[in-house]
Amino acid sequence: MHIPDGFLDTKTWVALSAVSTGFVALSVVRANRKIGEKHVPLMGIMSAFIFAAQMLNFPVAGGTSGHFMGAVLAAVLMGPFAGTLIMSIVLAVQCLMFADGGITALGANIFNMGVVGSLSGYLIYFLLSSAIKGKTGKLIGIFIASWASIVLAASACAAELALSGTIALNVALPAMAGVHMIIGIGEALITTTVLTLILAARPDLLELTKI
Amino acid sequence: MEYHLIDTYSKRDSLLHRLDPRTKIIVFLGLIIMIVLTPPKQFITFGQYGLLILGLVILSRIQVWFYISRALLVMPFVLMIVIFVPFLKEGQTAFRIDFWFIHAQVTHEGLIVCWNALVKSVSSVLLITLLVATTPFNDILHGLTHLRIPRVLITMVSFMYRYLFVLLDETERMQHARLSRWFGGYIRRQIKVIGNMIGLLFIRSYERSERIYASMLARGFDGSIRRIDNLKFRAADAVFAAVIVALLTIIWETYNL
Repeated sequence: MHIPDGFLDTKTWVALSAVSTGFVALSVVRANRKIGEKHVPLMGIMSAFIFAAQMLNFPVAGGTSGHFMGAVLAAVLMGPFAGTLIMSIVLAVQCLMFADGGITALGANIFNMGVVGSLSGYLIYFLLSSAIKGKTGKLIGIFIASWASIVLAASACAAELALSGTIALNVALPAMAGVHMIIGIGEALITTTVLTLILAARPDLLELTKI
Repeated sequence: MEYHLIDTYSKRDSLLHRLDPRTKIIVFLGLIIMIVLTPPKQFITFGQYGLLILGLVILSRIQVWFYISRALLVMPFVLMIVIFVPFLKEGQTAFRIDFWFIHAQVTHEGLIVCWNALVKSVSSVLLITLLVATTPFNDILHGLTHLRIPRVLITMVSFMYRYLFVLLDETERMQHARLSRWFGGYIRRQIKVIGNMIGLLFIRSYERSERIYASMLARGFDGSIRRIDNLKFRAADAVFAAVIVALLTIIWETYNL
């Protein structure tokens, strides 16, 4: 899902870079206001955590392997804007160190995974966990939120590629969304297991100041 | 693991390694943007950019297979575009595919879209690799601070970079522990194990960040990190930038021929 350079046309990547810059700036301001200078080490180390967690590959059907994205996990644990910030840092470092995703497409990638993935995922989690009380609500909420975040991020990616004239929307959107509906189940199962473990071992970590 | 590749080549010595990181960031970013903005049908221009990149690769004195292996990373994406190309129907038909149950027509426009994505993504990956392989990561961050990227973001990234290796080592130890006890099993069970590993990693990372913050406060942390300013814009930087600008001017001159 990391879009390389050259796949998006100028209007798309310039617009998305501007939107993502705005969201990242907003996230930094919110983080600074909510937790003061502590956000500097905390966001840095949480980004390293998401990066390390993405290194854990698991087998998917057909000999391929998938890995974890983590936008919803970060958003649920640290708050939606912290999720945006963490995903942005992870994507920027992946772009530089592993040439995973392009420089001009960085804004688009941050938009898909950091903004769409984190904010929409958090919204779904928030609504479901307030509607259904207790531990069950949290687990159902995070399961659906992390599945939806993958599907929405993939759909945003397909829409951007189609808007750039790289692929045809009527074929690409169903194909991308369809494939990621299956990949999303893996993400959802893992994220739910992570939350179950944290609820059992350190439930206080779910009550951190949300950014 | 993969992360041993990071900064493998950036501590070497060559003309490119000795340049100021700011020069390299501006030059390489500028080149990437110029290449991305070039219309797909300017085949000669892309050839010239290719020669320029080849020259830079030779200047960096790093073996070519390293760049090739990096360029191969974008191939899955290019392949994805290739799969979708027969569905871009508008335009003149270049050739038809009639194979068993597949009947598709490929248009000239579709091929141009493919070429555009391929050539631009490969050039850009090569340029990013050139930048990162000739500049230590901390120097890139330092250069970015001078280029007015907000300091707070840079500090977060440098924290991430510093503790990434600690957390990756922790992850690797957990992986080893899992693999040495794992004799095959259902995917469902494996997903549960990976979920627990990530949960444990989160708890450990959070506790680590608390300890780090406490020790930073004990040493008088006030939200910003000061560092010695050792970047120097030398004559070599000016010459390098001038040569690149001159080459780009030549490329522009031949642009619309």
